Amino acid sequence: MKKTLSISESELINAPLLFFIINACQIGVGIHGFQRLIYQDAKQDAWISVIISFIFAHFIVFIMIKTLEMFPSNDLYGIHQEVFGKFIGNFFNLIYIFYSSFAFLVVLKNYIEVINVWIFPNLSATFLGASLLMIVIYAFNGGFRVLVGICFFSFICTLWVPSILFIPMEYSEISQLLPLFDNHLKDIIKGAYAMTFTIIGFEIINIVYPYVKEKNKVQRYVHLGLFATLLLYLSIMLISLTYFSGPQLEKTIWATLNLFSIIKFPFIERVEIITICLWMIIILPNLCLFAWSTHRGVIRMVNISSKKFIWIFSTVMLIFILFIKSRSQINHINNIFSHFGFVVVFVYPLFIYLMALIRNSFLKRKRTN
Amino acid sequence: MFKKIQQKILPNEEKPEYNPPKIPVPPLKNDFINELKKIIHSPADLVIRFVTNNITIAFIDGLIETQSLDDNILARFEDTSDETPSTLRERISIPEVNVFDEMIQCIDEMLIGAVLIHINGHPQVVLAKIPSYEKRSLEAPENESQVIGTQVGFNESLNTNITLIRRFITNPNLCNEHFTLGKETRTSVSVLYIHGIVDEKHVNTVRQRIKDLDIVDLIDSAILAELIDDSSSSIFPQTLLTERPDRFCDGLLTGKVGIIVNGSSMGIICPFSFLEFFQSREDQNLRWPIASFIRLLRFAAIIVSIFFTPIYVASLTFHYEVIPQPMLVPLSESRAIVPFPPIIEALFLELVIELLREAGARLPTKVGQTIGIVGGIVIGTAAVQAGITSNILIIIVALGALASFTTPNYMMGNVIRIIRFPIIVLAGFWGYYGIMLAFCFLLIHLLKQSSLGAPYLAPFYPPRLKDWPDSIVRLPLPFISRHSVNSRSRKEIEKSKKKKNTKKQRQNSNLTPENKEKVIE
Repeated sequence: MKKTLSISESELINAPLLFFIINACQIGVGIHGFQRLIYQDAKQDAWISVIISFIFAHFIVFIMIKTLEMFPSNDLYGIHQEVFGKFIGNFFNLIYIFYSSFAFLVVLKNYIEVINVWIFPNLSATFLGASLLMIVIYAFNGGFRVLVGICFFSFICTLWVPSILFIPMEYSEISQLLPLFDNHLKDIIKGAYAMTFTIIGFEIINIVYPYVKEKNKVQRYVHLGLFATLLLYLSIMLISLTYFSGPQLEKTIWATLNLFSIIKFPFIERVEIITICLWMIIILPNLCLFAWSTHRGVIRMVNISSKKFIWIFSTVMLIFILFIKSRSQINHINNIFSHFGFVVVFVYPLFIYLMALIRNSFLKRKRTN
Repeated sequence: MFKKIQQKILPNEEKPEYNPPKIPVPPLKNDFINELKKIIHSPADLVIRFVTNNITIAFIDGLIETQSLDDNILARFEDTSDETPSTLRERISIPEVNVFDEMIQCIDEMLIGAVLIHINGHPQVVLAKIPSYEKRSLEAPENESQVIGTQVGFNESLNTNITLIRRFITNPNLCNEHFTLGKETRTSVSVLYIHGIVDEKHVNTVRQRIKDLDIVDLIDSAILAELIDDSSSSIFPQTLLTERPDRFCDGLLTGKVGIIVNGSSMGIICPFSFLEFFQSREDQNLRWPIASFIRLLRFAAIIVSIFFTPIYVASLTFHYEVIPQPMLVPLSESRAIVPFPPIIEALFLELVIELLREAGARLPTKVGQTIGIVGGIVIGTAAVQAGITSNILIIIVALGALASFTTPNYMMGNVIRIIRFPIIVLAGFWGYYGIMLAFCFLLIHLLKQSSLGAPYLAPFYPPRLKDWPDSIVRLPLPFISRHSVNSRSRKEIEKSKKKKNTKKQRQNSNLTPENKEKVIE
């Protein structure tokens, strides 16, 4: 397959849109219940874990973009092929394709689970999966610009959601955050590690990068997007830590949804039912961009039209959904995914950056000789 | 999928151009008359007169101005035998006189208001154009009425409509390109734009799409609008049909392309974005806080109109827990005797409202009022008393219908009302989840649309901050860049980059409503 991408002018996007892409890709199903996972390790210092994980994410994104800048018109798949040659490169591509489709599956299954538990216990997972996949297929066929548009509107349509999360604050107890730094640093880092499942999503920059018009502004908007997510996660974490007591938080799977459920307006109660349904527009960019990321990798190896690809891909995903049934299975898969995701998103970019550096200096030496 | 089907129905093969056989003009008088009658099947309104021994004139009764015929043509004839077409042409004192030597061409001209003058012995015909346009007088636009602003609407004559536009825009850069469309009707179509403001790309697209059309007839501009749409399978209109010359000129001045079809009282403006369908010309005439409030009201109305009934259906079918207790009591009381599930109830009432609207639109105005009474009072009250529907649903449905009529554009208002039905069905089956599915589908559909290749959801996506002051709100005029970035030409962009004389430019290009009114006076 061809090594560099040829992208038509009409497919390029402006750099500021990266803010929405990064933000939309990060916020997904993890936010429903990340508090418990982190609290288990870091206790009342969980919010520090959130900050640490984001500091690390900022660093990794910086490295990622540095790597991408060495190959201005190529995505990660192309870099693999250039750095490692075709054979080994394709092996790495396969891993990344697997990662993207795994992420797709995890997001989809978790959302279906939430709907089944909170709203429609009797609605079959097959129907929910199929309906969501139909939407994804419809969006996917619109091309990259439509996918970015969904990211944008996902952000706009859910702007009001964080603001109502401040309502539970009237029941919160600030003293629950004390004593500060009571836990061992190792536990706090462990908590940061537990953030992996919630924080990943920004690695989409690996694939989006060649589609950005102003390459010099990429760093700025990606970091801005990350920072916006940090603010959201941090505020939710602080509200949860002060609202729930420790043992309560350890038993709550979906702490954010529980926060929603106590919000009351004169004309509406049980806001979580509305927000869970609204969450469809939040996970839609996740699904679409992960599917798209898989597609970018697949077309490097197999000559397949995007329409055919998305139908095959969706069918495969639907079959996988049918196999995962119980909550413990989902937990297990989430666990595997977060370990796998940590390696792919947080460790691997350092490796590929080093490899690219070595290759470049090697090439330079060759040229001077 | 639709595109594939369309391609099957309309095979895109190259069709031969319309080339009528060429018939030379017979030099002899009688031959000429016979030939003429043969070609146009001697209709009853064909007038043939012998002015002198040599000269014959022919025209269609009613298509020409008889006054002009008397003064400018008949009075100029001299009874000499050495008259030739070229001398005659010089003597006739009307703007458009031509000499043709081909019959079909002559008859084409005669059918749009020319007099044929044939001189015995010459194989040529002198054509003098003195068309008379039968037309309605200018009236206030009925479908797009507004309180403040000019009260004049287009009528069915192409020439009058173009004159109206020229009154608003007295600018040599206003270009007018003429096309003839429809094999049978040969309808005149004018494409208008302002050179220097318009994006040439859009003009080329319109030109190309009109040239590519291969149609039999063209009776109204709405048909042309659908034919040149980017995606004719979408429910959303992508071009504006307006009967207001001020709205039309507004479009031209913001760098859009306008199309006027002879015989139609509606002009087409394209490209047009989704948001602009919910703006009215009047918004520019009102003070900005009021205009902004009205615009926000309209957008709230769209949301109410599309989602209110589905939310009712979903809440009462699946999500009782969302409704607070004090509100649940009256709701369940009013629904207590209704035997149907909410979805049937809602669909029934929505259909009744649609029936009322359609009946009101078709009936004469005087009877229309009766329909309102019959529908509103008789059916409404009776339905509640009979226990078919609940009181609260009637309020919700009526509110939704009312809200949909606030959309300033009739075409878009229809869409807003119709897309409610599938959403109600989805809400009835899958509650809020179904509504959300519909919302996502709608959003993606809108994202996919384009108008002449320009994004349909502009200025929101792709985000164009410069156009936001004139979007769902209207900020004071100095904040509004007159030409949306979407439809600016290169020249304009370069100018704004230089940022020279920006203020002056704004004042010049910003024709305030007062100025416009002066122009039309």
